[in-house]
Amino acid sequence: MAAVAAEPTLVKKNYLTALREALIEEMRRNDQMICQGEDIGMLGGAFGVTEGLLEEFGSTRVIDAPIAEAAIIGTAVGMALNGKTVMAEMQFIDFISCGFDQIVNMMATYHYRTAGEVNLPVVVRGPAGGYGGGALYHSQMNEAWFCHSPGLRVVVPSTPYDAKGLLKAALRDGNPCIFFEIKELYRKNEIAEVLPDEDYIVPLGQAVVRKEGTDITFVSYGQSVYHCMSAAAELEKLGVSAEVIDIRTLVPLDEETIYKSLAKTNRVVVVNEAPMTCGFAGEIVARIANNAFNLLDAPPARVTRLDTPVPWVKPLELHVLPSVEKIVRVALQTAKY
Amino acid sequence: MSVIPTTGTAAFEPLAETAESISDSRPSQLLTKEDCLEIFNQLYLARYFDIRLIKEKKRGRLRGTLYSSHNQEAILVGALFGLKSTDWISPIHRDMPAFFLKDSKFQWDDPTRSGMSIEEVCAQVWGKVGSPGRARDNWSHIGSKSKRIIHSTSMLAGTIPVAAGVVYADRMNGGDAVVLTFNGEGSTAQGIFHEAVNFAAVHKLPVVTIVENNQWAYGTPVHLGCPTPDVADRAHGYGIPGLVADGQDVFDVYDKVMAAVEHARSGKGPSIVECKTFRAYGHGDHDDDRAMKYRPNDQIEAGRTRDPIAICRQSLIERGFLSGAEAEQYIAERKSASEATNDDFPPAVVDYLNRGIEFALNSPLPDAEEGAMWVFKENA
Ligand SMILES: Cc1ncc(C[n+]2csc(CCOP(=O)(O)OP(=O)(O)O)c2C)c(N)n1
Ligand SMILES: [Mg+2]
Repeated sequence: MAAVAAEPTLVKKNYLTALREALIEEMRRNDQMICQGEDIGMLGGAFGVTEGLLEEFGSTRVIDAPIAEAAIIGTAVGMALNGKTVMAEMQFIDFISCGFDQIVNMMATYHYRTAGEVNLPVVVRGPAGGYGGGALYHSQMNEAWFCHSPGLRVVVPSTPYDAKGLLKAALRDGNPCIFFEIKELYRKNEIAEVLPDEDYIVPLGQAVVRKEGTDITFVSYGQSVYHCMSAAAELEKLGVSAEVIDIRTLVPLDEETIYKSLAKTNRVVVVNEAPMTCGFAGEIVARIANNAFNLLDAPPARVTRLDTPVPWVKPLELHVLPSVEKIVRVALQTAKY
Repeated sequence: MSVIPTTGTAAFEPLAETAESISDSRPSQLLTKEDCLEIFNQLYLARYFDIRLIKEKKRGRLRGTLYSSHNQEAILVGALFGLKSTDWISPIHRDMPAFFLKDSKFQWDDPTRSGMSIEEVCAQVWGKVGSPGRARDNWSHIGSKSKRIIHSTSMLAGTIPVAAGVVYADRMNGGDAVVLTFNGEGSTAQGIFHEAVNFAAVHKLPVVTIVENNQWAYGTPVHLGCPTPDVADRAHGYGIPGLVADGQDVFDVYDKVMAAVEHARSGKGPSIVECKTFRAYGHGDHDDDRAMKYRPNDQIEAGRTRDPIAICRQSLIERGFLSGAEAEQYIAERKSASEATNDDFPPAVVDYLNRGIEFALNSPLPDAEEGAMWVFKENA
């Protein structure tokens, strides 16, 4: 028996399973880790990311919290202050606003104001993003709020492999992290993939090139990466070769990968789902303008949500969110500039 | 400066006394036979709305999550029946019938009444332009300034401070409006619940906070969200009355809420009315199957036994307002959406909803461009 190599498991896993595996493996690895959130125990989470945790780890380490986001985050800070690692789930990332002060003023600043005495391994994670008809309060991408609060890691994985590896990296990083999960990807079979059997992480702060190209660079993250991939396929038919970069983590941001691509394409379109004004797309454009101006043959462009909330019914929702068509249109303008 | 006159320094009245003095009365005993039969009809209406939407969805004619008020209708009907047209309400996800029950006493069809029409509510459920919010946000996230219904968001307990602000302004304007805010027991854990009730208590505002304690907050049982057996106990901390009603008995809800409303209207301040009930099905219809697993079977059985329609019928029989075949004409109680048929409901109820649904189906979708409108008030 011992001589026979273990069959590699070739089962494809979806984004949600990848996240669940990350939590279970980290809980096994680190007996000082706690998970808490609304309905994460008995129910296994609104979407099922925490299914099986309560059964395996018990109710001291897996807490079905009262509906109080500020307390979920604030108590996580206290637990972390006293040596624990905490995953705090927001049932939808939109509800993180109810815990805002505890994040931006309490948690984000802790390391800074204690001159490094305290570090907080707390990952606040939750389902995010539009295109699902979730309406104003179940569709948001509010990552910019947290990029604007120094002291927080901000992570947005777009594949099952990254979801698992980045969540593990975030839990081990030692800095507080806001972790955006794209709920429309949770059970999307098309993106399911075989994951390594052995433990792995995806380091924070490393972008990845999803598709190589020579004429124009898309910089994106989350669900928008797939829209950029589709746009790239459309552009290919029109003779435009697009490179697609998935930045994966916003804070810290891997600028080098972007500039390397720009050295080749000299044109860039940044795409995300958040409103344009003060959004992270604007930040990326600003850094390019400051640090890679000489590489540009065209003004850097953005395709984002309009500066509106995300409305409910489909025609309205699609009107305000980025679409493949909009991305293609802007890319062609940029390519022809 | 508070605009509400307080009685000097003795603004604080010991709770026990207050609570007793306001819960003693039984205004439901003064309701006429006509009133009582109307209340009975409204219970059918609320139940039918719930059941019919589930049927519509199963037939593929409706999409979106439905949050059932099945088994909790007595709270909505009992709380709303005694309100004045000038009063405000603030319903949440489980209170969809409240939008059309408000100010509906004997005048379901009057367009001038201070409640939404069934057409408006159905257009909202179907996401059509005839919705008061033009289908910008879903389900119960609608309201109407003119009809005095506060527009909720998803954020649980988030409208309680808004409700307090509304009646503060009303008092400044010389009005005597009361506001009823509806909340699940789970939502009372939100910090804003405390902040808002505290504000209302400080200013003796006419805010009646109704807690629909249905024993479950999504997949979390009440004891993991609320540390005391009665959420109403929390009123002690604010020096305001906290009442507990039998949420299955429409007349008990009416009695307790009316006592709280009169207390509020007379300037004595806010109160909490906890209505004990049980969520008959899943958190939303997406959760129906899972809810059969995370909740013990015997609890579900017991929780559904005291159906508000049956309890109301019994009271009406006891008071001599119903008898014989008339009493047994429509047996809707303890029937799930797949068990109940139109014959279990009074025809007027079925017709009313038919009209709403027809309107919704014929109402167009809003234009895509509306997605970018009304971010700001445009000053011409
Ligand atoms: C601030 C906030 N956190 C979480 C949620 C998600 N959520 C929606 S309903 C619900 C449970 C509410 O339970 P309860 O207040 O008891 O009302 P019920 O559904 O039982 O009527 C939760 C957790 C939310 N809508 N808002
Ligand atoms: Mg509840």
